[in-house]
Amino acid sequence: MAENSLPASQSHSIINLEDVSVEYRVPQEQIGTFKEYTIRLLEGKVKHRVFKALNGINLSVFQGEVFGFIGQNGAGKSTLLKLVARVLRPTRGRILVRGHVAPLLEVGAGFHPELTGRENVYLNGAMLGFSHKEMEVKFPRIVEFSELGDFIDAPIRTYSSGMLARLGFAVATDSQPDILIVDEVLSVGDEAFQHKSFERIQSIKSQGATILFVSHAMSSIETMCQRAAWIHHGKIVSVGNANEVVDRYLGRVYDEETIHLIEDSHRGFHTNEGRDSIKISQVKILNNQNSEQHIFHTGETMKLQINYQAFQPIDSLEVGLAIHRQDGVHLTGPNTTFDGLDIKVNPGFGGVVYSIPSLPLLEGLYNITVALVNRDGNLILDYQDRFYSFRIENRGHKFPEKYGLMTLGGKWKLL
Amino acid sequence: MKVQPALPVIYDSTRRGSAVIEELREVLNYHHLIWQLVRRDILARYKRSFLGVAWTMLNPLGMMLVWTIAFSQFFKSSSLPSYPAYVLSGLLAWTFFSQTTTASMVNLIWGGGLLNRIYIPRASFALAAQGTGLVNLSLSLIPLLVVMLITGLPIHFSFIFIPVSVLVICAFALGVGLLISTWAVYFPDISEMYQIILVAWMFLTPIMYPEQILPEAYRVYITMLNPMYHMVKLFRIPTYYGRFPTLEEFLIPFMIALVTLILGWVVFARKSDEFAYRI
Repeated sequence: MAENSLPASQSHSIINLEDVSVEYRVPQEQIGTFKEYTIRLLEGKVKHRVFKALNGINLSVFQGEVFGFIGQNGAGKSTLLKLVARVLRPTRGRILVRGHVAPLLEVGAGFHPELTGRENVYLNGAMLGFSHKEMEVKFPRIVEFSELGDFIDAPIRTYSSGMLARLGFAVATDSQPDILIVDEVLSVGDEAFQHKSFERIQSIKSQGATILFVSHAMSSIETMCQRAAWIHHGKIVSVGNANEVVDRYLGRVYDEETIHLIEDSHRGFHTNEGRDSIKISQVKILNNQNSEQHIFHTGETMKLQINYQAFQPIDSLEVGLAIHRQDGVHLTGPNTTFDGLDIKVNPGFGGVVYSIPSLPLLEGLYNITVALVNRDGNLILDYQDRFYSFRIENRGHKFPEKYGLMTLGGKWKLL
Repeated sequence: MKVQPALPVIYDSTRRGSAVIEELREVLNYHHLIWQLVRRDILARYKRSFLGVAWTMLNPLGMMLVWTIAFSQFFKSSSLPSYPAYVLSGLLAWTFFSQTTTASMVNLIWGGGLLNRIYIPRASFALAAQGTGLVNLSLSLIPLLVVMLITGLPIHFSFIFIPVSVLVICAFALGVGLLISTWAVYFPDISEMYQIILVAWMFLTPIMYPEQILPEAYRVYITMLNPMYHMVKLFRIPTYYGRFPTLEEFLIPFMIALVTLILGWVVFARKSDEFAYRI
């Protein structure tokens, strides 16, 4: 994927990764003790497996941009950030970093519980590479930002987790780094402080810093970042405009979900083995073109095709459906009798289709129940409870409504 | 603010000299951190208990008392004019060694979470442990002086040699500390094992007994081949014995310490890039 969509002419690249790989040698079995290791070594049984945490990464990040990293857990995002922070060295390839890197430390990392807030600030500052003198200049600002007041001279074991988070954030962001690494730590403290920390990051950014941002919250990636990279199994799958990368990533996530939904639908199980007059043989969720689909958008056409196999003649068959939202809300229960369809079945195969011209449902996951009923005597012949699923997803379809569970398709008019 | 045309390259993963030299350079860059770590250790100790730093002095004194009561009759010898001072001087050197080596290892393992998040020179922990040990040792010289005065040993001019002795022991302890820290990163049970080794090692070193009581047949193994024998002796000479060491008495421990330190530093620095994967 080409690195595009940012006017590169106005910026210099500040981080360069050239064909970077990181390999871990993992023992095939966990060898925890020295004794065990020695025995294995003597037996020549210490086998290692090479695990590629990152594999041939090429990436340039430009000065002043906010760059996001997305991907599943274990995809290699954090490993990549650690390379930039000098914590890890690459097994292969080259990393160039121009400027001072400040990682946003995990809350309270390196804080000692018995020491006061003041003492911990100096210690933490030293870990970030600042001398005592430099910290003396920063100290009043840090106290002010963290809103700790007199608590700064109390041992930090007496602090609440919110206070710790504020102090940690204040120390880490007081300096104006060239590159700030933010690894999912923005969700600390109360809402007011979250807002404040967001503003602090914005101001660091406005002063020309480059920010590397990792999050599982796609909305934060989209609002914070200009560009993003999607990392999967140690490789960059996609890099470019943040919105586009997020779209591709979510598309893939939904594709995988679709595969699961389809697999589930074809598992085939029967709650009604005993009454062997008729059985549901297949249920398909189809789109306008009569091909199977499991993710729809509001307003799309959906067809539910139910096939059955009869073993005896049935005079008055009723095919019924129920659609539930995943949390159990019953939305609708159409059946062939309501529609005036009279079905007489002879032994053999048959089927019906229920067409919904324009789905009124809003985003969510929905389950379908199918039932075959003999209207004479009101006897349930076969029944599959919430066995089929589909998702409504409006991303990319510009459907504006999002409150509640359905659209009534109404129109507004100015009087 | 930072709108310079292009920032200079400050980190290039391929441009790198020997890991051994680089670790040394970074440790010098981060001397503030090492100082802060020492401060943290001492402040934390001071805060945790009512008597605080006084324990640094009371602890070896208590140990000395116990051993004196238990063994002074047993090891009575004309060559030991003041058994309490003999035990205490040996104990100070030994405690310094055992505490700093253990702390190097423990600090690296427990403080290691930091290594995963931020770059700090990995040897900082071992160096800070030495710093803390030096502060503790300096404080415990006070009870040693008191005990020597009470038991009637003269305070000799040779006391000024103590810093040299201590530096040699410190170099040895740092070397050992770095070596066992490296192993402990790979095998967590090393730290348990080391505690047992320390006990055995202490009993094999003439600390509470005079070396003369050792059977002639084993004496050479227990003394000459035991580096801590030379270290303890180097500390006792200017304090308990009240004289300056001979050239040989100085050069043997000095060479042992130098070789151990270089070996420890090289092994540690070469392996330290892997630590972040392991801890």
